[in-house]
Amino acid sequence: MSRGGMRISRRELLRVASAAGLAMPFAGLGLTDAQRVFGASPKPGKLVFLGWTFGKIYEGFAARFKQDHDVNVDMLLEPNVEQAMSKLISLLAAREQVDGSKVIIQSLGEYIQRRIILPIDEFPGAGAYIDQFTPFTKESLQYQGRTWGLPYFSTIWLPLYNEEKLERARMEPFKTWDQLVEQARRAKREGVARYPLLWVAGVGHEQLPGTWFTLTWNRGGVIFTKDLKPELGPGSVARETLRWWQRTFTEELSDPRSLEVRFIPAARLFNSGDYLYLLPTQHYYIVWNNDPAQSPIAGKVRFMMMPGDGRTLGFTNPYVITRGTRNPEWAWTLLQYLAGKTKTGEWMQPNKLMRDWMLGSGYKSLMLGEIITREWPRWGNIDVVINQWQKASSILEVAPAMREPWYIKWSDLINVQLQDCLRGKTTADQACDNMIRAIDEAKRRA
Amino acid sequence: MSFRKPEDVLPGSGVLSIKIRGGELSREWLAALFILPAVAFTLAILAYPLLSAFVLAFHRVTAESLIEGGGAFVGLRNFAFVLSDPTFLTSARNTAMFVGFSVFLEVVLGLGIALVINDRSVWLSRVTRALILVPWAIPPIVNGLLWSFIYNSKYGYLNALLYQTGMVKDFVQWVGDPRLALFAVVVAYVWRTTPFGVILLYAALQGIPEEVHEAAEVDGATLWQRFWSVTLPLLRPVLVVLLVLRTTFAFMVFDEILAITQGGPGNATWTLAWYTYSHAFRYLDFGVGAASGFVLALLVGATAVLYTRYVSLRVEY
Repeated sequence: MSRGGMRISRRELLRVASAAGLAMPFAGLGLTDAQRVFGASPKPGKLVFLGWTFGKIYEGFAARFKQDHDVNVDMLLEPNVEQAMSKLISLLAAREQVDGSKVIIQSLGEYIQRRIILPIDEFPGAGAYIDQFTPFTKESLQYQGRTWGLPYFSTIWLPLYNEEKLERARMEPFKTWDQLVEQARRAKREGVARYPLLWVAGVGHEQLPGTWFTLTWNRGGVIFTKDLKPELGPGSVARETLRWWQRTFTEELSDPRSLEVRFIPAARLFNSGDYLYLLPTQHYYIVWNNDPAQSPIAGKVRFMMMPGDGRTLGFTNPYVITRGTRNPEWAWTLLQYLAGKTKTGEWMQPNKLMRDWMLGSGYKSLMLGEIITREWPRWGNIDVVINQWQKASSILEVAPAMREPWYIKWSDLINVQLQDCLRGKTTADQACDNMIRAIDEAKRRA
Repeated sequence: MSFRKPEDVLPGSGVLSIKIRGGELSREWLAALFILPAVAFTLAILAYPLLSAFVLAFHRVTAESLIEGGGAFVGLRNFAFVLSDPTFLTSARNTAMFVGFSVFLEVVLGLGIALVINDRSVWLSRVTRALILVPWAIPPIVNGLLWSFIYNSKYGYLNALLYQTGMVKDFVQWVGDPRLALFAVVVAYVWRTTPFGVILLYAALQGIPEEVHEAAEVDGATLWQRFWSVTLPLLRPVLVVLLVLRTTFAFMVFDEILAITQGGPGNATWTLAWYTYSHAFRYLDFGVGAASGFVLALLVGATAVLYTRYVSLRVEY
């Protein structure tokens, strides 16, 4: 059997499959079949994981793997996603060993199409994991009838507000976008806030486009249709949304600093207490707002539902097995430790991410589990998050083109257009027309 | 093999040779022999990757074909794409501005500081000489991060300083405003790189004979005249070297862009190195990345030739 250049012999596959088959009676009782085949093949000298840092989520990981399997794991951690991606490609091109990695949803399509990562469906026990995927995890991780990894974390977009500030202004969280503008105008007029609104609108694939996509989706629009035609023409929801959004900047209701900040800097800016709303951000960044150690307004920041019918977007980023693995079986074991269960059946990493960082899980059982009800309330009103989660769709619904190899280039180009528009250099019409044209430019190289 | 006796080497004749079995090596061959290890080392370290990248520039190379080999030959199409890409042209314009401002500032500031620390009557010159190297010792990426804190539009030290001294009425978006962002990166970059020029020029100043200045002074030259007509011409060779080196490095600015602006806002700080990196490692289009890298190399080479052609290297006392 060949998976993108990495070969597993039929004999090896049968051996692993037989081991899994022995465990079939236990299937459905907590992935026992997957655990049974840990270490089924000879131990490799080492395993290599390449990713980017996020807090201390990998602290103790390699030691635990060594303790359980007597195999060393080299943890190559880069400071950010861009550098991690560059290093992955460089290592693969140099035919270096890289067994596991993590990928952002925006790059996943390209990685699949360029055969940089391997599908996991045929590994023993994969089915049991996949059965537990939440709906938008399935949509995020499955493509062309295959599954391309296990969930690293899930998140959704929703607004935050400063409760104290809103109370002082005698306002309730807004219910419609028009009401938001009215509140912002009033707050500005009455001197409650110089810029009542803060957005996550810094350059990036998830940040500025993510905010616009979420606003558009919430208003009933999409960026691309299912057959990848852009929905950005005159009168489209996306275009009108951009026009509306731009007005909040030209009226000076939105802080122009929004255009500089990605998620964490936006959360820190919101901690200044100067704003009424931080508009839609990924849910777990509230940790930065309500942590007394790093926020002067800790405890005052609350979640709220997206307005209207509450539609929002979410996604799941995956851990993947790369084609640079020397031993797919052990890479699968590594992947399970990163994103599934350990030898003893413990959801080690997924639980850690949920407990310490409020990151959502891609598994139904964990999202319904006690960690959320026990741990998440310390960061905010989680009933809202849970309700909002029910109304979240995969970001691929609004931009199915994210699966295309040209998407990342296009994403760069639309960042420029969106920033120019929100700064008032161009109109929403010009920006959207340029974005449509940019599709051809991006495709030309794909 | 034996060296010739000292008396065999005629004074002033410039002849140096080594006797080997059956003959002797001429001065030229001897020189070639001495530089052979360096050439071999350079070829192994530089030539192979350069050639490899050159081949990539003429192929359609995706991540898949880079790993597996077998990218299709596309002739000059990658170069045609690069040269017709509006983003490349924007990057070239930004790079030209970046190079112009940064090299000018580096040379002017470098010369100014070198003159001051060369003057023993300035009591702080010794302290400055020691401290001047600190920015140079900072890794570029760390420098970028440091300045991104300094520039922060809400909490940055620069804004705090300007606001508290009444120089600005509101915090400025140094890196968020497309009109300022490139200059913000220039300042961060120049802060790190100026010490290189200072050290080079300071060393050159130390080499200028004191008698030359004294003679000019005796002839009644003013301070400015002594600088303009004596010091500056004598510094010309070092200035050319400095210009060539600093221009080359400025063309390749990357770390500060990565850490401070990542090409933004919009494409206001896209430079040629960032363009090359983006195509190779973000869009996984290695052919275009390599082609862009070679265009950049040609530009740097052409600039170096211009410098050496139009600024004389010779100095006569």
